[in-house]
Formats: sequence, structure tokens, C-alpha cells
Amino acid sequence: MSELETYRAKALAFLQSMAPKYAREARSGNTVEQDLALGREYMAAKHDAGFAGINWPVEIGGQGLTHLHKIAFDSEEMQFGMPVQFFGISLGMPVPILIHYCEDKDFVKERVRKALRGEEIWCQMFSEPSGGSDLAALRTKVEPDGNGWKMNGQKIWTSWAQYCDYGVIVTRSDPTVAKHKGLTYFWIDMKSKGVEVRPIKLAGGDSHVNEVFFDDVRVEDSQRLGAVGAGFAVSLHTLMIERYIATDSGGFGPHLDEFVKLANETELNGRPAIEDGRMRSAIARNHAMRAGLDSITRRAFAMMMAGMQPGPEGSLQKLVAVRSRQKLSELAMDMKGTESLAFDEHAYVKTDWGTSWLNAPTGRIAGGSDEVLLNTIAEKILGLPQDHRPDKGVPFNAIPA
Amino acid sequence: MSILYDEGQQAIATESRRVLDARMDKGRLLKLLEQVGEHDQPFWDTAVEQGWTALAIPEEHGGLGLGLTELGLVAQACGAATSGAPFLTGGYGLAQALVQGSDAALASEWLPRLASGEATGCVAFAEGNAALPPVSKVSFADGKLTGTKPAVAGGLKADLALVWADAAGEAALVVVELAKAERVAVASYDNTRLYADLTFTDTPATLIARGDSARTLARDVLARMAVVTAHEQVGGAEALLYIARDYAVTRKAFGQPIGAFQSIKHRIAEMYGLVEIARANCIHAAAQEGTDDFLLAAADARISATEAYDTNSRDCVQIHGGIGVTWELGLHLHMRRARSLAVEQGNLLFWEDLLVNELTGEKA
Ligand SMILES: Cc1cc2nc3c(=O)[nH]c(=O)nc-3n(C[C@H](O)[C@H](O)[C@H](O)COP(=O)(O)OP(=O)(O)OC[C@H]3O[C@@H](n4cnc5c(N)ncnc54)[C@H](O)[C@@H]3O)c2cc1C
Repeated sequence: MSELETYRAKALAFLQSMAPKYAREARSGNTVEQDLALGREYMAAKHDAGFAGINWPVEIGGQGLTHLHKIAFDSEEMQFGMPVQFFGISLGMPVPILIHYCEDKDFVKERVRKALRGEEIWCQMFSEPSGGSDLAALRTKVEPDGNGWKMNGQKIWTSWAQYCDYGVIVTRSDPTVAKHKGLTYFWIDMKSKGVEVRPIKLAGGDSHVNEVFFDDVRVEDSQRLGAVGAGFAVSLHTLMIERYIATDSGGFGPHLDEFVKLANETELNGRPAIEDGRMRSAIARNHAMRAGLDSITRRAFAMMMAGMQPGPEGSLQKLVAVRSRQKLSELAMDMKGTESLAFDEHAYVKTDWGTSWLNAPTGRIAGGSDEVLLNTIAEKILGLPQDHRPDKGVPFNAIPA
Repeated sequence: MSILYDEGQQAIATESRRVLDARMDKGRLLKLLEQVGEHDQPFWDTAVEQGWTALAIPEEHGGLGLGLTELGLVAQACGAATSGAPFLTGGYGLAQALVQGSDAALASEWLPRLASGEATGCVAFAEGNAALPPVSKVSFADGKLTGTKPAVAGGLKADLALVWADAAGEAALVVVELAKAERVAVASYDNTRLYADLTFTDTPATLIARGDSARTLARDVLARMAVVTAHEQVGGAEALLYIARDYAVTRKAFGQPIGAFQSIKHRIAEMYGLVEIARANCIHAAAQEGTDDFLLAAADARISATEAYDTNSRDCVQIHGGIGVTWELGLHLHMRRARSLAVEQGNLLFWEDLLVNELTGEKA
């Protein structure tokens, strides 16, 4: 067994020992708050067992292992449906950015430890009502205020902000220069005076995203991450950190086996559904698509193990997987007929087709919309020309609203 | 019948849309999503007051004696407004069965009440994914009905149901008063559809057709309801098309309206294509009412309308970005309705098979 395989086996043993208390089946019917409390416990246990901060440096409290060890652990963990959703963004982007840019190392070490143990959660405040895709169009502004800054404005779609202790934020510090030049990046304490968080209910009924308002919020200059005016670059850095992560070719919906099982158990217009050409075609095509994505992931993994840089094709994962899941969920509902009309709001997105269908649209928007991902592929990978950008080079305060 | 709407028909289309625009309230519908077993009473009061319940019932039974074209136009307005109750379609299916069925006394007893809105009806054909099972699991014998029909739209509150049953190996269409049945509400993602599992235990029922004639009548009723539903789907799909268009010309990204990006612009143009093809099929199907070509026309309408509403739901939400998936904006009212209507009245898989069977002369 290779060292990595041994590690994977150890991870699996740990996860199995945690499963009876924390895995998906153990938590059915839980409220979000109950899940969060269990999630914090689980994160602490993970930290105690040495599976937290796997690829982070030992000096700041990580395990000092490779990216591959982290992907190995995460992909095993994903199978169990552990209550880790609250911590994904926190540990995925804001905390690594803090580690990279914050100069107060004692402060960083304490935050890292608490974030890894689930005692503190960090959010990422980029999107605003005026634009999510067009990040540099943001309007939340900071102005010099004595030796620090004063912040006013609004963010939106901030995942888990209602449970967060800290967050990273990008703001406009200079409206007189081109839009992506006048931005500055900070970390902030979500309990600061003038910060107000209001949950937004989503179409599926849950409220894990929020509006965050800033009313004369005092920010110290020591909270700045990166240079004044370098906020766009730090934002891009934030979005690049999670470039190679454990993915799910099922688009975070049900496994294809669930569809096959349903087709095996169902009769369609007098014949077994599994013999129906439409079902066979859907199964075969989804299988081929998922197999391709899985193979891309395995190849990226192998390249990283060989010390090579994986290709850009990994950027297809979310785009292809989620929109396919959306249609496959509809087909599964059609196959179930009137049975699919019943809906359980506590059902699990990976085992219930109705839940998978209802929540699929958020997956095609969060973390970069399909259109934006396609633009990136077209422009960054394929060298196709950018769209006309009427606001290019224009000072922010001269762009018509 | 003509496929050009006459003045009267145009007036029905405009007036039904105007009334619903004025009276429907998104906030009310959103609340109802979270209440199992409640429908939107103001919607239903409007339907009754406007005479929509009477539209397609013969004049001698207290109706207006109009047909599928007129009812279809009203259904289209209801679809645009994500109407708050399923009784128009169910009541129409039941009324058609009474008109065409063999029990004149029963028809005279109930049709006037359905026309006036004093009574509501529903249709219980489907079992699981079979829209019209070859042999129903609900049995009828000696004037009594026994068995369960799952997730019947309107079943929770309707007064009367038309049931597809099995009478000792023969198909049977029977009418049953639901006050005497056991009804269990089904919690759904689209709760104003009032889905209920209906269980009959030696429940008194009246036979209105048997054997081949029951089969023929059931198919005709199902096809008629499918055409009404297809109109409703077109209304919903069209509403989404214009919601998307309006958003794309106002929302800006990268210094221009998002509608200037070809991926958005073309997506909306495709939505238009789906709506117009489905609408044309609906107009044609309604005009074929009562002819030999009706079943095939109904299948065309149903298939294209289902595709239009499902696709436009996906795409309209996508075009909105984050705001599109919020509870409050309510696009999910359409998304949910697109799915519930895709399943009621036989899903795509059923209609595709039926259409091909019609073309090849094979009997399902
Ligand atoms: C569940 C969820 C969680 C989220 N969590 C966070 C979070 O934690 N932190 C955070 O900062 N943000 C978060 N977001 C916000 C997310 O990043 C944005 O919603 C997303 O970037 C889209 O931005 P928008 O909603 O403003 O849509 P817009 O940018 O207004 O887009 C509207 C439509 O226009 C299209 N479009 C935009 N630009 C182009 C173009 N150039 N070419 C073609 N089409 C284009 C889009 O694809 C979309 O279809 C979250 C969103 C969701 C739904």
C-alpha cells in the first residue's frame, strides 16, 4: 500500500468511528441549529484526531501534509454526509487568505485553531446587490477614518453569515479609478458595531444565505489584507485557492445508482422502466458524463502525485455535473409519476429526487454561474475574445448605474 | 373549428388575465406553499364569480355551452398567475364524463352544481406513474368502490370524483361522492394542488361507462384535461419568458444589460420558441375537440407545453442569478407548478408513448 493509500485507510477508519453519531443517517430530522452543534463537535473530534488543516503548515496548526492527502480525506468524508457544510467556505477560502496575508501571526494561529475546531466560523463577503458575477462592480465603500477605516454598504448571498464570527470582505476604497483598481480587502469581526445580518429564505425553504449591512463600521488598518487598492487581486487569489478540491460528478445530487435502482423497481406504461429506451439512454449518457468527470479528477490527482500541474479541464466539474443533475432529477420524478408529488422537506438531497430537483438551481448560480464558467473556459482556456466591456478603463464613479 | 380566435374568445382571454392580475397575490400563494391542504380561496371565488366553472358545461345543464378553446384561454391566464386551486381542470374532466356517460339522471343532478361552482370535482385515474393503468387496483362491484387512488389533485376537498376502476376484469368509469371516502392529504412541493390519497371501502358509486366504452371515454377525458393543462403550462411558460425578458433588459453586469450577452439573449429567444410552438399546438388541439385527430393533437400540445414550462422555469431562474432562487421573488412558484403540472394528466413519458402508438396504429 502506498503512503497515500495507508492514509486514506486511516481516514476511513476514523470516519467510520464517527459515523454512528454524526453521519447523515444519524441526524435525520435535525434542525439547522442541532446540526450546527453536532458539526462543531465533529470538527473538534476531527482536530483531536489530527485530520484538521491537513495541507496547512505545521507552524500555524496544520498537519503539514500534501493537497492530495486533503483531497483523499475529503472525498472519503463526503460519502458519510457529515455536518460540515457550515465550515466549508470558512476553511476553504477566508481562513487560508488570512493565513497568507495577515501579519499578526499569534492572532492567525488562534483563529486557525478555533476555525479548525468549529468554534469560530468565517464567511466570504464578495457579492452585492449590484452584482455577483461582476465582482468589481461592488459599491460597499471604505473611507479613511483617523488611523483606520469606516465602512458603509451592503453585501448579499453571504453563506452562513448568521452563524459567523468573522468574515473577509472586499470594498471600494477609491471610486475615482477604474472599477477593479480601487478595491481594498479586509477581515472583519461580524460582531462589530454597525454590522447587521439578515437571513434570506431560498426557494427550497432554507435560509443559509444572508444580507449583511454595514453602517459606519469601524475597521482597523491592521485588518487590511494586501495593499490598499490590491483588493481585486486578493479576491482572485481567494477564488483560486480551492482550485483542486474533492468533487462530486453527481453534482451533489443522488448517485446514478439511485436512478438505476428506481428504474429497476418501476413499471412504465406496462413495461419495466429499466427496459425503456429513454431511461436506458439517460442512464448511459449520465454514466458516460460522470465517468468522464471522475476520470478527469483521477488524472488530476495522478498528475499532482507526479508533481505535475493538472490541466484546466477540472473547471468543467460543477458546470457539467449540476445542470445534468437538474434534468436527471426531473426525469426521475416523471418516472415516479404521482408518487413524486409527495415532498418531504427534511429529505436528503443525495437520496431524494424532489429535493435534488428543487435545490439544483442554486448550484448553477453559487460559486460562479454556468454562463460565467463558460466565459472563463472560452476566454482563459481557449483564447476566445472577451465580450464588449463598455465600462473598461472608465473610472468607477463615471460608469452609469 | 377555426384556429383564429374570434372577438368573444379574445375578450375571454383579456378579461380573465385582467381579473387575475388584479386579484392574485404572490405573498398569499407563497404562504400557501407551506400549508398542507389549503388552496387559495380568493382564486376559486374569482373562478366561480367569473363563470369559468360554467364555461364548458352544456346550456341545458346550466352552463355556457362553450368549449375547450374558451376554457383553454382561461387556463392560460390561470397558468400565468400560478392559480391557487386545481378544480377547473378536474371539474371539467368530470363534467365531460357526465355529459358523455350513460347516466342522464346523475348528469342532471351534478352538472348544474358543477357549473354554478356549488360543487367541485376531481378526476382519479392515475396510479403511481400510470396515467391510465391497464387494470386499475381500485375495484368496483355491486355499486361499491374499494381501493386507493394516490395523490389525486383536488382530492382533498372536491365533492365528487370520477374514478378509473376495474369491474371484474373490465374497465369501469364510476362517479363517487367523496364525503364518503377516506382522504389523506399528501404534503407536496405544490400544496395548493390539494393532493390526497383517496381510499374507498365499499363506498357507494355510480357506474357511467364500462368496458371498451369506459376506456374510450377515459382516454377522451384525459386528453381533454391534458389540453386544458397544456394551456395552463403555456400561460406559465409565457409568463416566465416575459419575466426573464424584463429582467434581462434592466439588470446590468460588466457595464451593460445582461440581455446584451448572447448567452442570455439567445436563451430568452429559445424560451419564446418553446412557448409559441406549444401555444400553436394548444390552439390546434382545442379546435380539434371531438374529431378523430383530437388525441394526437392533444399529445402534441401536452408534450410541447410540458417541455416549454419545465425549460422556461429552469432558464428564467438561471437568468436571474442569485435573486432567482429566493423564496420572496417567487419564481419557484412557477418552477414547482411546472413540475406538478408535468406529472398530472400523464407525464411526458406517457404522452410520448401514446403519440407514437397513435402514429403506428398500435394500441397502448
Ligand atoms: C446558495 C448561494 C450561496 C452563495 N454564497 C455566497 C457567499 O458566501 N459569498 C458571496 O460573496 N457570494 C455568494 N453567492 C453569490 C454568487 O456568487 C452570485 O449569486 C453569483 O456570482 C451570480 O451573481 P448575481 O446573483 O449577482 O447574478 P448576476 O451577476 O446579476 O447574473 C445574472 C445573470 O446574468 C448572467 N451573466 C452575468 N454576467 C454575464 C456575462 N458576462 N456573460 C453572460 N452571462 C452573464 C449570469 O450568468 C446570470 O444568469 C451565493 C449564491 C448562492 C445562490
